[in-house]
Amino acid sequence: MLNPIVKKDVKVQSRSMRICWGVFIYELILALAFFLAMIIMEQQIRFSTSNIYSAMVWLYPVLALTQIGILGLIVPVRTASAISGEKERQTFDIMLTTSMTAFSVVMGKVMTAMIQSMFFVIASMPVMALSFVIGGMSWGYLFGFLALALLVSLFSASIGILCSSLCKKSISAVIMSYIIYIVFFLGTFLPYLLYEVALMNAAYSTTQTTNAALTYTYGENLYLFLLVNPAVYLAEFFGRVMTGESVVNTFATLTGAHQTKGLINHVATGSRWMVISTVLFVGISFLFLWLASKRIDPIKRRAKKRAKKQMQQPDMQVIVQENIMQKPEDGQ
Amino acid sequence: MLQINHLYKSYGKFQAVSDLSLHIPKGDLFGFVGPNGAGKTTTIRMVCGLMLPNAGTIKINGVDALANQKEIKKQIGYVPDFFGVYDNLKVREYMDFYGSMYRMHSREIAQIAGDLLELVNLSDKTEVYVDTLSRGMKQRLCVARALIHNPALLVLDEPNSGLDPRARVEMKELLLNLKSMGKTIVISSHILSELSEMCNSIGIMDHGHLVAAGRIEDVMDDVFGSNQLVVTFDEGRERAVRIANEYAGVKVTSVGEKEMKLSHSMTKQEIAGMIATMIENEVVVTGFHRQEGNLETLFMRVTENAGAQEGGNDYAESNR
Ligand SMILES: Nc1ncnc2c1ncn2[C@@H]1O[C@H](COP(=O)(O)OP(=O)(O)OP(=O)(O)O)[C@@H](O)[C@H]1O
Ligand SMILES: [Mg+2]
Repeated sequence: MLNPIVKKDVKVQSRSMRICWGVFIYELILALAFFLAMIIMEQQIRFSTSNIYSAMVWLYPVLALTQIGILGLIVPVRTASAISGEKERQTFDIMLTTSMTAFSVVMGKVMTAMIQSMFFVIASMPVMALSFVIGGMSWGYLFGFLALALLVSLFSASIGILCSSLCKKSISAVIMSYIIYIVFFLGTFLPYLLYEVALMNAAYSTTQTTNAALTYTYGENLYLFLLVNPAVYLAEFFGRVMTGESVVNTFATLTGAHQTKGLINHVATGSRWMVISTVLFVGISFLFLWLASKRIDPIKRRAKKRAKKQMQQPDMQVIVQENIMQKPEDGQ
Repeated sequence: MLQINHLYKSYGKFQAVSDLSLHIPKGDLFGFVGPNGAGKTTTIRMVCGLMLPNAGTIKINGVDALANQKEIKKQIGYVPDFFGVYDNLKVREYMDFYGSMYRMHSREIAQIAGDLLELVNLSDKTEVYVDTLSRGMKQRLCVARALIHNPALLVLDEPNSGLDPRARVEMKELLLNLKSMGKTIVISSHILSELSEMCNSIGIMDHGHLVAAGRIEDVMDDVFGSNQLVVTFDEGRERAVRIANEYAGVKVTSVGEKEMKLSHSMTKQEIAGMIATMIENEVVVTGFHRQEGNLETLFMRVTENAGAQEGGNDYAESNR
C-alpha cells in the first residue's frame, strides 16, 4: 500500500503554486546551462574539424550535472522543512500517535522528496533528449541518468532528514546538511592525502626504501574512502558514458595501485568500483534514515527494553522512584 | 481502563510530574484540572506515548503502554492542545490521510469518516479545505480525526481553548455524546465550570502532584469535610436556629437574613425530621438543599493546600 504521507504530500504540493515556480526556475537554469554549453561548443568547433552535431553529445554531461547540482542543493532544504513544518503544526505528534512507525514517517518524507525530484527531472527531459537525438547518444544513458538522479535525491534527502531530526530549526538543518556534503566531498580525500604526505616525509627522512615500500603496499587502501566520494562517483559515471573508460581504473593504473596486494586492487578493476560505490551510497542513505527514525521515535527501543526489565523486576522500579524522589533535595 | 502508577517525569532538574497515580474506569469522562504549568500536558503526552516517563507504569486495558506501543496506539485517540492543519487539503482527504495511517482501507475510511463528520456536525464541509475552517470546526474535525480508528480511549488536551461560548457548548455536547457511546474520555482544562457540567470524575493537579482525584462528589466531600446543608426560610429565624442546635451532630456555621448553613452528620431521615420539626414550630421553610461546593472554590482550596505543603520546598518555583 502506498505510504499515506506520500499520497498526502504529493496531493498537497500539486495544488500549491510553488511547484510551478520551482519548475519554471529549474528550467530557466537548465536553459542558461544549455546556451552556455552551446556557445562554448561553437568556439571550440571553429578551430577543429569535427562538426557541431557530434559535439552535441557533450550537452548530456553538462545538463545532467547541472540538474544533479540543483537537486543536491534543493532536496535537503525541502526535506528539512518538511519535517520541521510538521513539527510546527504539531501534526508530527499526531502522526506519531497513529500506527505509523517512525521509520515509515521518515520513508514517506524521503519518497515524497524523490518523487518531487523526478517531477523536475522529467520536466527537463525534452532538453536532455537533444543530446540523444542530435548528438546520437545511446538511449540507455537516458535511463542511466534517471537512476542517477534517483540515487542523488535519495542520498541528499536522507542527509536532509537526518539533519532535520537532529536540529530544531530547519535553517540549521540545511546548513548542517551542506556541512555533511563537504565531509563527503572533501573529507573522503583526506586519509589518502595525509598518507601521501606521510609517504613523502618517509622517503625524505630514511634512505631505506624497504620501509617506504612496505607502507606503499597497504596505504593505497586508503583510496577506498573515495568509494563514498560523490565527485569520484560522478566522474566515474560520466567518464564511462562519454569515453567508455573507467576513470578509477585509469587512476589506479597511473598511481600503481594495481600492483599492490591490498583490497584496492580488487575493487578498482573493471566495473566493480561503480557497483560497490552504488551499494555503499544506498546503504549510507538507509543508515541515515534509520538513525533519523531512531531520533524522532519518542519511545526508543532502549527504553522499551528498560520498561520490560522494570516489569520483570518490580523491586528495581521502586529503587528508581526513590532516587527520583530524593532528587529535589540534591538539587538544593 | 487507564491505570497510571507512580509516574515521574523531569525536564532536566525540573520535576514536571511526580508520583502520579491514577485509575480511570471504563466509560468515565475524566476531567484533568490544574493551573498553567501543573503538568497536565506532560502527563497526557506520556499516556499517548509521545514522551517517556522517568519512572512508573501506564496501563491501558491492562496492557503496559510503554512496552506495547503498537497495540496501545490503536486504543488511543489524541487531540493535542495546539495543532495546525495542512494547507491545500480537503476535509475528506484529511480524514482519509489519518485513516490510512492506521492501515485502514479507503472504503472503510470513507464510511467511518462520513459517520464521524456527521457526529461532529461537519458533514456539509467534506469538500472544504481544512485551513479555511473556523477554529471551532478545526477542533471538532480533530476530534473526529482522533476517532477514525475507533479507539476506546480519547484524550483531549484543552479542547476548549480559544473557542467561543457557543462552540464550547457544542464541544461539551459532543463529548457527552461520545461518553454515552461508551468511550472513556480524558479531558484537560483549567476552565472548571465546564468540567463540572460534564465530567463524572476529576483529578486536580498542581506543581506536578495529583492533589485530589476521584468521582466529583467524593472529591468535594473530601475537601469540604462533613456534609453541608442550606436551609432557606421566610420567617422564624430564631426558632429555626434553636431547633437546629437541639440536634446532636449539627453545627450552625452561618446564619443569614433568609437562610442558614449547617454542617451535620445526620441521615436523610433525621434531616427530614428536623425540617418537619421546624415547620411544626411555624418556621416558614421555603427550601433546603445540600450545599454543592462548586468546583472553583474546591480548586482554589486544593491548590492552596498543595502550595502550603510545599512551603519549605520551593524547588519547583526556583527552577522556572
Ligand atoms: N519541553 C520542555 N522542556 C522543559 N520544561 C518543560 C517542557 N515542557 C513543559 N515543561 C515544564 O513542565 C511544566 C509542566 O508543563 P505542562 O505543559 O505539562 O503544564 P500544563 O499543566 O499542561 O500547563 P497548561 O495549562 O499551561 O497547558 C511547566 O512548568 C513547563 O515549564
Ligand atoms: Mg497544557
